[in-house]
Amino acid sequence: MTRHIPEAVFWCVAAVALAGLVLSLRQYRAAAALRRRLAAAEKTLRGRDAEVRHLVEVRLTALEENHWAGGQPLPGLLDGGLFGTDFARSLQQVVDRFTGAAETARTRADHSAKATLKAAMRALQALANEQQLSISDMQDRHDSPHVLQDLLEIDHANSQFGRRAQAIAVLCGSWPGRQRAASPLIDVVRGATSRIRDYRRVEIHSAADIDVTSRAVEPVVLAVAELLDNAARHSQPNTSVEVNIRSAHNGVSVVIDDAGVGMDSGEIEEAGRRLSGTEDIDINRLGDPPQFGFAVIGVLAARYGFTVSVDSRSPYGGVRAVVFLPKSLLATAGSTVTAPVRGARTPAPGGGTRTATLPTRGTHVLPAAPDTPPAGLLADPAQTVPAGPAALTDTTSPADAPAQDAPDHEDEGSPAAATAGGLPRRRRRTPTEAATAQTAPDPADDEPATATRPAYETATRMGAFARGTRSGRAATADDEGIPQE
Amino acid sequence: MTPPLRRERGLVRPYVVTDGRAHPTRNTLDLVTLVNGTGSRPLTGLSPEKRRVVELCRPGALSLAEVAGHLNLAISVTKVLVSDLIDSGHLTARAPIPRTELPDARILQEVLDGLRSRL
Repeated sequence: MTRHIPEAVFWCVAAVALAGLVLSLRQYRAAAALRRRLAAAEKTLRGRDAEVRHLVEVRLTALEENHWAGGQPLPGLLDGGLFGTDFARSLQQVVDRFTGAAETARTRADHSAKATLKAAMRALQALANEQQLSISDMQDRHDSPHVLQDLLEIDHANSQFGRRAQAIAVLCGSWPGRQRAASPLIDVVRGATSRIRDYRRVEIHSAADIDVTSRAVEPVVLAVAELLDNAARHSQPNTSVEVNIRSAHNGVSVVIDDAGVGMDSGEIEEAGRRLSGTEDIDINRLGDPPQFGFAVIGVLAARYGFTVSVDSRSPYGGVRAVVFLPKSLLATAGSTVTAPVRGARTPAPGGGTRTATLPTRGTHVLPAAPDTPPAGLLADPAQTVPAGPAALTDTTSPADAPAQDAPDHEDEGSPAAATAGGLPRRRRRTPTEAATAQTAPDPADDEPATATRPAYETATRMGAFARGTRSGRAATADDEGIPQE
Repeated sequence: MTPPLRRERGLVRPYVVTDGRAHPTRNTLDLVTLVNGTGSRPLTGLSPEKRRVVELCRPGALSLAEVAGHLNLAISVTKVLVSDLIDSGHLTARAPIPRTELPDARILQEVLDGLRSRL
C-alpha cells in the first residue's frame, strides 16, 4: 500500500506541473495578446493624437484660409484607415461646426458691415443730392461765366461723389434712390456721362427714339455710369469712349466700346460672374482697393431685369460692354404724354410762373432723335409733337415753313387756347412779326416801334395829347412839367 | 400716371450740356436778347439741347430767357449754347426792341407850337 504512495505523489506532482504548464502557457499567450492589443491601442492612440493635431494645425487652418481666399480643396484625414469610424465622424462634425460657425460669423459681419456702410452712404447720398440742388440754384442765380465755370467743376465733382455713394449703397442692398420721370434713353446715357470723370471723352451715337420707364431710369443711369467709368478709366486719356444705342426686337442695347487695355479671359469670366448678379456679394472680398463697379451692375441688373455683358470684341481692341434693356423697361417716346399738347410751346399767360411755361414731356421728344432727317424737323412742332415719328411725314420745306405758320396760329387761337390743366395760354409772337423781323437784314437794326405805326394812329394820339394838354391847362394853372407859354 | 411736366433736371448736368464750357463765345447776349432760327443749317451733329433751341427758335423770335425756360436750363448755360449756335449760323440774335421812349418834352413842345400855329 505504502509502495503506491510515491507513485501517487509523482502523478499528483506531474498533474500539477502539467496544469501549471498549461496555465502558464495560456497566461503567456494571453499576455502576448494583451501586449499586441496594447501596442495596437497605443498606435491607434498615437494615430488619433496625430489626427487631432492634423485637424487643428492643418485642416482648420486651411479652412480658415479658404474662408478668406476661397477656391483651394480642403485636406482630408491624415490616416485613411480611420475613415468610417466614429472618431472620423466626430472629427467631421467638428469641422462642420467650425465651418458653420465661421460662415455664420462671416454672414453676420457682412450684414453688419453692409448695414453700417449703407446707412453711411445713404447719408452721403442725401448730402450729395442736397448739394446738387444748391449748385443748380446757384447756376440759376448767378450770371457770371466765371462763377459758372467754378460751379460746373463743383457740380461735376459732386455728381461723381454722389455716384460713388449711390453705388456702394446699392451694393449694400439699398435702393438706387431718386425717383425720376420717364426719360429719353439718350438723356439717360448722358445722365450717366454726367457722373464720370472723363465725360468729355464719351461720344454718343443714337438713332433710337425711346424712353426708359420711370422706375428703371436711375438704375440704368447708375449701371451705364459704372461701365463708362470703367471704360474711361482703363483707356488712354486721348482716346474716346463710344456709345451706340441700337434698337432690337425685344429691347434696346447700349453698346459701350473703349480703346483701352482690354481684359484677359480670366478677368472676363470673373466679370461675367459678377455681372450676372446671381452670386452673393461679399463686400469684404471685393479686393483692395475694392472694385464695386461690376458687382453693383450685377445687383442692379438682377433686380431690375436688364442684362449686362462684357467681352473683348471692341473694334478698338478694348472692352465692349453691352447693356440690354428689355421692352418691359422701355416706353415709346411720347407715349407718356396723355394730355393734348397742341401748341405746347405756347407759353401760358403770366409767364412769370415758371412751371406753366415749361414744355410738356412730348416737346422734348425730338431732341432724342439726332439722326432724324432735317426736313422732318422743319415741320411745325405743334404738329410733330403728338404723333411722334408718324408726324415726320407731315413735313414742309424750309421755304414755306413761315407761310404755313399763319393758318396754324389761327387754329390755335380759339380751341387750343388752353392747356390740359385748363389754364389759358399766352399766344406767342405772331410769325408775321417774326417774318418782318427776318426781312430786316441787319439784326442790330433797332428801329423804334413808332416808325411802323400807321399815320392815322399817330395823328389820333397826337390829337389826344393836344386835347389833354389843353384841358389840363384849362383846369389848373399848375406847371407839372408842361411849360407854360 | 400724370405726364411729367418738367424735363428731369438733375439727370443731364450742365457741364455735359456745354461740354464743360462756361464762357459764351460772345458777351453780347442778355436775358432779353431775341434769337431767331435761320433755318438754313442742318441739325445733324448738334447735341439734343442745341437741336431743341434751333427748333424752338425756327418759327419766330424768342428771348433768351424764354429759351432757357423751355429747356429748363440756367440762363448762363443757355447763353453758351445760343452763342455757339449763332457762331455756327443756326441762329441770329437781335437786341430787344426797346420800349418806346417818351419823346423829349422840347420836341413835343415844338410840335405843339407848330400845330398851334397851323390851326
